[in-house]
Amino acid sequence: MLKIDNITKSFGGLRAVNDVSFSVNQGEIVGLIGPNGAGKTTLLNLLCGIYKVDSGSVRFEGNDITNLAPNRICHMGISRTYQIPQPFDALTALSGVTVAVINGKKRENMTLSDAGLDASYFLEFVGLFAKRDTLSRDLTLYELRMLELARALATSPRLLLLDEAMAGLNPGEASKALDMIWSAQEQFGVTILWIEHVMKVIMKAANRLVVLQYGEKIDEGPPEAVMANEQVIQAYLGGSDVND
Amino acid sequence: MVSFELKRDRILARWKKQKYEWIIEPRYWRNPILWSMLLLVVPLFITGYPNILTMITVANLYACITIPLALQMTGTGRLNFGPQLYLGLGGYTSALLNLHLGFSPFFTLVATILVCMLVSLLLSPITWIAKGLYFSLITLILPLAFLDLTFIYGSLFRGEVGLMGMSPVINLGRITWNYVSYYYLSVFMMLIFLFVAEKIAQSRFGVTMAAINENEDVALMMGVNVNKYKVFYYVFPSILTGIVGWFIVHTFRTFAGITYLPLDFMLKMLIIVMIGGRASVYGMIPGAYFVCFLEDSLRSLGTVNYFLFPLILIIVLVALPRGEGIYGLYHKRHPRDYFPVMRVRRE
Repeated sequence: MLKIDNITKSFGGLRAVNDVSFSVNQGEIVGLIGPNGAGKTTLLNLLCGIYKVDSGSVRFEGNDITNLAPNRICHMGISRTYQIPQPFDALTALSGVTVAVINGKKRENMTLSDAGLDASYFLEFVGLFAKRDTLSRDLTLYELRMLELARALATSPRLLLLDEAMAGLNPGEASKALDMIWSAQEQFGVTILWIEHVMKVIMKAANRLVVLQYGEKIDEGPPEAVMANEQVIQAYLGGSDVND
Repeated sequence: MVSFELKRDRILARWKKQKYEWIIEPRYWRNPILWSMLLLVVPLFITGYPNILTMITVANLYACITIPLALQMTGTGRLNFGPQLYLGLGGYTSALLNLHLGFSPFFTLVATILVCMLVSLLLSPITWIAKGLYFSLITLILPLAFLDLTFIYGSLFRGEVGLMGMSPVINLGRITWNYVSYYYLSVFMMLIFLFVAEKIAQSRFGVTMAAINENEDVALMMGVNVNKYKVFYYVFPSILTGIVGWFIVHTFRTFAGITYLPLDFMLKMLIIVMIGGRASVYGMIPGAYFVCFLEDSLRSLGTVNYFLFPLILIIVLVALPRGEGIYGLYHKRHPRDYFPVMRVRRE
């Protein structure tokens, strides 16, 4: 479904993403992990067109989407959430999702009230229907993350990019959010590429893990195999010379 | 017969078996027809005071300038500090064409629209390249540069004395009737602008406009073609502002760049936008009336008004609740309404 070939991105002298290639298949949940500053978010920004790729290519369902404008990529069916929630502060939760419903696909004949009806479905799905008329700036962190999810789903994506969906949530909220993401995958048939720091969650959720370090891919495979890899342990916990 | 009864918040009138009620608090008089009727009836009582009539006409024109400006500020997500550029452009285009080439008011209107559209299309990439304070600075400079041009090419533009003697759009033969007719024309123009702006703001494009004003990058990620929207919201209000210039030329029949292009005129427009209702389209009308009345009533005090005028405005800005301006007092809050947030500085 998504095929990334040797993409590279440098900021000045720093190679943030260096020659990374992997692919995501239909219906999978792929976890993208790595220590801080490994280039995970940069990779995500490259996929959705916020940054321009220096070299390499990204293909989505057979189409080349390298360096397309973000709104074009969104129309093709890739949607994302943000690590730090970025709501439309002065818009209500419902209006924020309505914007995504109207613009996420070409829906030229959809009226505002129809879009509002659609949006309320997505809000209800993430459990925010009671907060539909609350301004986004008054929501809590968990509600903001759920609003981000609703907004991302409302653009009717086929590939969902989640950027640290669990950051800052307590264990109860995290397990609720995980259930939500699973049922989203079930109901809307989305494929998920998921950046996560909470290992417990991503080990449970992902079919496959991709590990980045210093902008390079160091391992890829099923969660258990990846966790057993010496290089990955070294990347996360430091060198083994302590034991020597 | 008819019996009246005063309740806590409303007046009840009973007649036979019918019951009518009138809520006392002004913010619940949410009837556009009522206000429009008031605007239409008032001039009939003050035909003997042409200065008041002119003042109200000017207030309507200020509203005509600021309604598109409010639309532009929310739609592009940037504060335009030079709306009067297109006022000057429209005014000079129609005045010069009328004086030198003898175009009738209708053809000067067409020419004004074309010229404003062309220039604003040429300048619209500013909305792509500049953001926040930089956009404000660029738009601030443009009308001043235009003002300088009117001085440099003084033989054509007559920068200091202004152009005079353009043909009127309506001539009823008597000065009083003309004043009244101009008043009605300005009211109709204001109502049309308000109608158009309101239709845009309440439609699906209005929600997208709000999203662009809130966070451009996130809107882009949601599939909004932000660049296209920004060009539209830059060009369309500019054309409307140009039409106001055309109107001034063909009703007041004088047009001088020195009146409309300098900074103090721009400041007045921005004050109307903020005091009227923080760029919500309805708020522009009470804002314009308030500023116009204040300016006119302080004029007789001489030079004091340079001190009093800003002082009163600052007091009003601070005292009005939630920073939502005069319209915020009247406005009944509805959860799905978007009250724009104005920020000069953006990251």
